[in-house]
Formats: sequence, structure tokens, C-alpha cells
Amino acid sequence: MRVFALGAVGLAGALTIASFAAPNRAAAAAKTYVPRDASAVVARVPARDPREVAERAALSASPDRVELAVELAHADIQRARSLQDPRYLGRAQATLGRWWKLAEPPPDVLLLRATIEQSLHDFGAARTDLDHLIALRPDDAQAQLTRAVVATVTADYPAARASCAAIARTTPPVVAAACQAPLDALAGHADEAYRSLAAALAGSRPDPAVRGWALSTLAELAIQRGDEATAADHLNEALELDPDDAYARAALADVMLERGDAPGVSALLAGYEQIDNLLVRRAIAEHRAHGPEAAALAQRMHERIAAAAERGDRVHMREEAMFVLAVDGDARRALALALANWNVQKELADARLLAAAAVAAGDRGAAAPVVEWAARTGVHDARLERIWK
Amino acid sequence: MIKRALILIAALAGPAWAHKPSDAHLALAVDGDRITGRLDIAVRDLDAAVGLDADGDGSITWRELQEAAPRIAMYVQDRLAIAGDGDASCPLELGDASLVDLSDGAYWALPVSVRCAAAPHQLAVTYRLLFDIDAQHRGLVHVAGQTLIVRDAQPVHATLGESTSIASFVRYGVWHIWMGLDHILFLVCLILPAVFQRRGKWAAADSLKDVTREVFEIVTAFTLAHSITLVISAVGLVQLPSRFVETAIALSVVAAAVNNLTRSIDARWAVAFALGLLHGFGFSAVLIDLGLPSRELIGALLGFNVGVELGQAAIVLSLLPVLYAIRRTLAYQTLLWAGSGVVAFIAAIWSYQRCFI
Repeated sequence: MRVFALGAVGLAGALTIASFAAPNRAAAAAKTYVPRDASAVVARVPARDPREVAERAALSASPDRVELAVELAHADIQRARSLQDPRYLGRAQATLGRWWKLAEPPPDVLLLRATIEQSLHDFGAARTDLDHLIALRPDDAQAQLTRAVVATVTADYPAARASCAAIARTTPPVVAAACQAPLDALAGHADEAYRSLAAALAGSRPDPAVRGWALSTLAELAIQRGDEATAADHLNEALELDPDDAYARAALADVMLERGDAPGVSALLAGYEQIDNLLVRRAIAEHRAHGPEAAALAQRMHERIAAAAERGDRVHMREEAMFVLAVDGDARRALALALANWNVQKELADARLLAAAAVAAGDRGAAAPVVEWAARTGVHDARLERIWK
Repeated sequence: MIKRALILIAALAGPAWAHKPSDAHLALAVDGDRITGRLDIAVRDLDAAVGLDADGDGSITWRELQEAAPRIAMYVQDRLAIAGDGDASCPLELGDASLVDLSDGAYWALPVSVRCAAAPHQLAVTYRLLFDIDAQHRGLVHVAGQTLIVRDAQPVHATLGESTSIASFVRYGVWHIWMGLDHILFLVCLILPAVFQRRGKWAAADSLKDVTREVFEIVTAFTLAHSITLVISAVGLVQLPSRFVETAIALSVVAAAVNNLTRSIDARWAVAFALGLLHGFGFSAVLIDLGLPSRELIGALLGFNVGVELGQAAIVLSLLPVLYAIRRTLAYQTLLWAGSGVVAFIAAIWSYQRCFI
């Protein structure tokens, strides 16, 4: 009978272990609860803005008033950015619902629609809308800037140049220089691009947002020239201006990783794991440094990738490929992701990623699109050349 | 104008999202004509849909949520519909909600129960929540081991395999033990000698009570053993190659049959336990082949195991009285010796086939 007791204990043990193991396998439902305290705060939303409430009421009373819809959608797009919450992009899109599918919506709607499409990585649709809008309003600096970015991401450099030239007519020189310099650098003139943007920045006193943008751009140019130390200086300055500048923080993390300072990256990004492209970099840093949080961060990143895949999103292919390559160590899968990502966006970061994945997978031929792109543009990039060597 | 442009350009430079877009989860478990489950909606989304933040301070309290519960229920009733075969609508009942914390905040967890006129083979889910407020909202319907992504007000359809309900897993369990000749033969070999016990020398047992107790011990040992390995391998803790498992199961049948001929191990419950561990791995392979529904894993495991035990109990209960009745006859002796010999031979052939072919 003693063996039965042992068997029963064994079964109980197996069931206990299983109940812990099952959630990993099953993404099993989390536990529900009822707060004991009725005044417990369950969720936070932006405090209600009486003007917005009034506008929304007015819009639902007369749903054709496009100026109200534009105003409300614009507020939501701003909110999406300031709260780093893409949920508000969907709200903006819904607010514009009546005009969303029109071939010829009012120009203000075109601009917002393009902005939302761009954020969802629907670059083709965004480009169509921006071209359309620019034909109607060639001096719309916002439309031209957005088009310059979309055209750069999709490697249509003549269009990007045309937009930067148009911007120069209506904005301060430093804005035009920050628009133009990356294009010059992509054409193989990183030194000149760096000098001209640095000069434009030194000769102006832009507001902090423009300054931060110009500094991040300067840093990217310095990286292309192989001067990671100067890039770090620019990015540190951008972060002093605005510690919430996630773009500068991610770029600084990349510089530090490049220089082998994984523990420094982990410290730089601690507490910023909410943000996807910072989480992925911290996961990589902890993995490289064999840090204590390596496993937990990798798990978190896996969960995020799974959550995006569950809803059918492929917006984070770049981050996913980075993670799969650096942490999972699955070069073949990283290569497939990097190739799929390259089909969507073609920035220098995407080129480096595809080249790195191809080298790691021992399949340099797979990086042919990047080789061809580099030959066509004449770009010189120190990081890309290090990867490829 | 320029200021606005620059705010946008910064966002374009690298979309840095700290949240995921809006999802709601509808998890459904189908058991015959009854469907139960839960709808999880982000509290922040509900605020946009029905207005939760009564005082407008940006903090949503549990009290505000409870006050809004009837409105939320109406909103869901209005916009969620489930239909069975032929689009026959199945009325929806909503329970008392609680909260659940998912990766991006608190969700309103609303129990859903549905009864269809007949057990459906296909479900049509019409989910129309939130799309008018958030065009990037997605309804994720988890049913029958699938996840359906709802992007608009169009109904989505799920075909229900037989494998969706716990009851059907019980049926699979029974079916598997009955069809899986190796498990039956193993068990039969172990209980065959129970009516013919050693009392100094071998003799027919004189009390049904003793026989029953011994059989009960054997069956319990077998059950415990295969349950342990079924559970640990079905959840993925230990996985063995199927060729190894299948061969080992066949060898376990050989061992049990040969033991009847040689009478070398008297404590057959110990044999049942030790070799029963192997059979659990075989059960879990079947269960995984059925397409284990990941969200109802524990239910499926329990259902399948209960089915296996029921099927096994039915065999034992029908066999035992017959064996007891014939224990003093030549028929029994023939069955014991010749039967065990034949089983050992057949199982040896299985072992060879499973291992090498």
C-alpha cells in the first residue's frame, strides 16, 4: 500500500507542476478578481476635455461636419504619440470613418489619413494620399515632411529630395537641412551631410523638438561615418533635452551595444520596457551581458510578439527580427523576417539587419537586395561594412 | 503649422509604442448545446464605448465600473450574437463581471453563457463591439483550439471538431482504451491470475472479496502511473520519441504475459505501476494528435483520463465475474497459460514491428 501513497503523491506532484507548466503552453486565462475597495482605481484614461466632449456631441449631431472630425482625429493622433499608445490611432481613424474610404476626401482628411496609414506601415497608401494632397497644396510643409519620410523609407529618393526642396521654401534652414542631410548621406556624401547639418544647427536656435530631431539625425550621420563616440554625444544631448525621446534612447542603446557596453544599455533602458523598441534592446543587452533579467525580458518580448501575431499584426517585424537574431539565435528565422521587413521598409537600420541576419545564417546571397541597394545608392555605412566584412 | 508638422515627423522617425492596439478576447468552450466562456474587454475601451469615468478625472474606479455594469451588459447584448447551425440564433446570457489583468492593463471579464437549440457543428460569431470607436480594434475569438480575428461587423465562423468539449474527450478516452488493444491486453494479463492465488502453493481463490481487492489494487496502480506520465507529457514537460514509447508499451505487454507464465513477480500491482508509466506517454501522444485545445488543456486532460478509466473499469467489471466463475475449470487454466503465451507472442511481434519497421 505504501507504493500507492507514493503514487498518489507523485500524481499530485505531476498535476501541480502541470498547472504551472500549462500556462506557458496554453497562454491560459489569467486569474480574475474583484477589487475589495470600490474606490480602487482600475484604469486611467486621459482626463475628459470638455471642449472635446462638446465637439464629439456636435459631430454626432451633424456627422457631416468634417472640420470637427479633423479636429478630433488630430487630437487623437497627438494623444497616440504623447501616450505612445497606438489605440488612439484607431480612434482617429474611426472618427474619420465617414471619409476614410473616399477616393477624394477633403485635404485635411488626406493628411491625417496618410499619417495614420504611415504609422500602420501602410506606406503605399500613405504615399498615394500624400502625392494627392501635395498636388492640391504644394506648400503644405507637414505633407511634404511626411512624404519625405515615407519616400525615404520606401527608397524613393528623388521624391524625398523633391519634398525636402519644397520644405526649404517655407521652413527655417535647419528643418530643411535635417530633411536633406540623410538623403545626401544615403547618396554617399555622409561627411558633407554631417558638416552642413551641424553648421545649420549651430547657426540657429530652434525649439527643443526640432533640436532633438536634428541631433538624432546628426548622430545617425556620425554613425555612418564610423564615429560612434560623436554619435553618443549627440544622442546624450538629445536625451537631456527630452528624456522621453524614445527614438534617441534607442539609437543611443544601439551605439552602446556597438561599442560592447551591454551593461550600460541595460541601465540606460531600465524602466522603459513598456516601449517595444526599447524592450527589445534591453532584452538583447541583458542576453549579451548574461544579466539576471535576461530570461524574464526574453519572455516578455516573446509574449509581445505573440500578442501582435495573435491579432494579425506585422508592424514589428524589424524588432522581431532583431530579437530572433540576437537573443533566440535563430539566424534562419531572423533572415526570413529581415527579408520580409526589407520588402516593407528600406532604411539603413533595415539594411544592416538584413545583412547581419544573412551573415549569421551563412547565406550572404540572401542579402542581395541590400547589396544591390547599396550599389545603386552609393551609400557608405561604417556599421554595414563591419557587418559585411 | 510647422510645429504640428514637427510633432508628426518625430512620430514618423520611429513609432515607439508602449502599448498594443486594442484587442478584446472572447473565449468560448462548447459542450454539446451549451457554450460557456468569457468576454474580456479593456476597461479603457469600455470607457470610450459607454462612458465609465463619471467624474471625468481620468481615473476609472471599480465603483464607476459597477455602476456602469448594466450599460455595459446592454452594449454587449446589442453587439454580440452567437448562432449555431443554419444561423439559428443562440440566446446569450451574461454573468457577473470581474476584472482580469492582461499584459496591457485591466480588462472587464464578463462571463458569457449561451444555449443553442441543438448542439452546433458550426458557430457563427457576430462581434460588432468598438469598431465604430476604434477602427484598429480586433475581436479575438478563441474557440475549438482556433483563434478567429474579427476585424469588422461581419460574422466569423468556427467549425467545431468533436474534440471541443470535455464530454467528447471522455468519449475519446473510452474509445482509445477499447481500441488500443495493447492497453487492454496489458491489463487483462495482470488481472488474469488474480482468481488463482498463491497460498503456500497455487490454488483457486476462495473469496471474491480478496480477488476484488487485488484487482482494485492493480487497476489503481495502473491508473495512477499512467495519469502521472499522461499529465507531464501532455503539458510538454517530458516528451519521448513515439517509436520508443510504442515499442516500450508492446514490451510491457510481453513482460506482463511472460510473468503469468513464469510467475516470477507476485506483486503485480508493482508491475502495473512501473510499466503503467509507459502507457501514459502513449495516451498523451493520442491526445496531442487529437489537437489538444490549448485553452482547455486541463479540462481535456481530465476528460480524456476519466474516459480511459471508465473504459478500463467497464472491461475489468465485465471480465472479473466471468474469471471468478470459471476459476476452477480447465477453461480458466487454458486461458491463463495458453492465453498468456499467445499474448506474449503477439506482443513480441508488435515490439519488433514498432521498433524496426
